[in-house]
Amino acid sequence: MSTLFKSMIAALFVIAAAGAAVPAAAAQDAVSEIRFDNGHFTPETFTVPAGQPLMIKVVNSSKETIEFESFKLNREKAVEPGETITVRIPALSPGSYDFYDDFHQDVPQGSIIAK
Amino acid sequence: MRLENVASIALLGVAGALLLAQFVPVQRTNPPVTGDVSAPPGIEATLRRACYDCHSNETRWPWYSRVGPISWLAAHEVELGRKQINFSQWGEYYPATRKRKLQWTDRALRQEAMPPWPYRILHPEAGLTDEDRAAIERWIDGEISGRSAESRNK
Repeated sequence: MSTLFKSMIAALFVIAAAGAAVPAAAAQDAVSEIRFDNGHFTPETFTVPAGQPLMIKVVNSSKETIEFESFKLNREKAVEPGETITVRIPALSPGSYDFYDDFHQDVPQGSIIAK
Repeated sequence: MRLENVASIALLGVAGALLLAQFVPVQRTNPPVTGDVSAPPGIEATLRRACYDCHSNETRWPWYSRVGPISWLAAHEVELGRKQINFSQWGEYYPATRKRKLQWTDRALRQEAMPPWPYRILHPEAGLTDEDRAAIERWIDGEISGRSAESRNK
């Protein structure tokens, strides 16, 4: 087997290992789901582990477009009726992070508690 | 089938689709102004020049907003922009909502995310100078601190 061929095989293994590592890292993300319906988020408050990346699934079960927004988390994303979006958030320091629907100011504000 | 024929059919298909796109109705409305933002004349002029097309009910609908499918995108962007912040409905916002929207505006200005670059290409007059940004940021700071003082006094 030539040196070049061996190097190519080794490179393939490295690429494959790196590819396998990405889903493994994603699998470590804490996943939370919130649903918007009848003018409010459910749950309005939920706790997540601090120091760990987070994925929030936002399900819009209402008939109106909403915007999941958090100034503190620097996230804003419109969610069409019936749509589910995923918001990725880096590891949070312990504390409270509010979120709200920016399109409807009467919607009660929610909180993510990181601890 | 010869390559020329395939290209001709594809071209005709695209032309037909573009023609049909002109018949898709697009909402280009300017609803009544119900509570315009109150700002010093210089700030208001800058907001009108750089922000009002998407963030007010006084949109100056440009020629390309009448040509599908660009018109769909333009109408969608205006609809979204008005939902995010609408200077023509400023008076209807709760103080907390106003503060939040000013904070986002401030962040967008500092990150030079607004006005968005595709809009600036089509509307060079909407570009903001460093002085424009600084003036709006000072106004926002004043509005936020002023409102904070108001709420403290209540």
